[in-house]
Amino acid sequence: MENEMSRLQALGETMTQHGTQMALALAILILGLLAARWIHSRLSQAIRKRYPKNKLALLMCNLLYIIIVIMVILSAAVEFGAKPVNLLRLLTIIALIVTGVLIFLKPFIPTLPFKVGNTVKAGNLLGKVEAITFLNTRMRTFDGKTFFVPNRQILDDIVINYHFTQTRRVKIDVSIRYDQDLLKAKRVLEALMTEDPRVKTKPGPMVYVLNLAGSSVDLGGRCWVDNKDYWVARCDLLEKAKLRFDGEGIQFAFPQLDLHINHDGYRAGGSGCPAPSGLKGLGTHQAADEENI
Amino acid sequence: MKIADGLKLIENGWIRKPKGFRVRFNRQTEAGVAAGLSPPPEAAPLNSDVTAWRYAWKLWQATREAAETGAPGALYNITVVDDQDLPFRFYGTGEFETYNPKHVDDGGNAAGEENET
Repeated sequence: MENEMSRLQALGETMTQHGTQMALALAILILGLLAARWIHSRLSQAIRKRYPKNKLALLMCNLLYIIIVIMVILSAAVEFGAKPVNLLRLLTIIALIVTGVLIFLKPFIPTLPFKVGNTVKAGNLLGKVEAITFLNTRMRTFDGKTFFVPNRQILDDIVINYHFTQTRRVKIDVSIRYDQDLLKAKRVLEALMTEDPRVKTKPGPMVYVLNLAGSSVDLGGRCWVDNKDYWVARCDLLEKAKLRFDGEGIQFAFPQLDLHINHDGYRAGGSGCPAPSGLKGLGTHQAADEENI
Repeated sequence: MKIADGLKLIENGWIRKPKGFRVRFNRQTEAGVAAGLSPPPEAAPLNSDVTAWRYAWKLWQATREAAETGAPGALYNITVVDDQDLPFRFYGTGEFETYNPKHVDDGGNAAGEENET
């Protein structure tokens, strides 16, 4: 009991001696931090409005905020009775230790393979990276949804970053009927890619015969465009391919099945077995009377 | 001839690749009819003829009523031109097309009327 009384007495003495200093220091700290926060928010808003794409300006704004916060803490500490020289020494030591640790650990710190503003595909999401925080990444998909993806999940997944390369290949695959002029179709497809201003000359557009399929000859047009033009260029080229082929009289293929019906009295017999050789029937090429359906 | 030289020859001589497209038109003003381009010559051209033709068609639709009455703001002879200010064929038909054709006496600078729409 006596012990507690003496402790309270000591506290009372401390408060009498340093109470004003403590209150003042606390007031400086609280008001200073509030002011710093207000200045930072107003300044960053103004910068975002005036220079929406300038990341350096935002960085400077954040730096200014950190400097103001440090100044406020120092002022509060000085007001409380700390010596400024000692405080500066302490800050310098902390800064050096943090920098050293960061430099040493940097190769071991996992970093995300994209920056804000990049268009990426992470997992099943294709969109633009709007913000990266310590825990998650904010992505906006092209249909307007905003996703908050945990960074851990992104680091574990395959990520396609479309900003790493300047150009991208466009595939224009079309299928024409077997009775169409193949060489003409190749020429038309190559010409419409070549004349487009967005299509690169190196490497130039190419047209390949990809496949001789069941009911079509598949042609593959390949050309390169700038990443930013990819989507519109692809859609434009597909539209122009359809219209140009129509104009040139080249017919596209569609799934088709030629059914040959023989009227010569073949009886399938219901067994489900293939017709023995010598018997004429459905599916044989010896049909006397053929109808294309 | 090296392959590279041959490819250069093909690049320069086979199909001309326009550097961009603009919509050319004549605009009715209070003072008369003035020729114009959109985007203007000092701005970057459109990089797609599909976009340019769609833009031209929308301009025509937007000024159709004004064109019927000849009110200021009406657009005539709307067509797409390339970087050399030459009319560019409409990709849909392969023909030169002009929306809202009208003979305008501007020293022969009016858009062609080869295929009136």
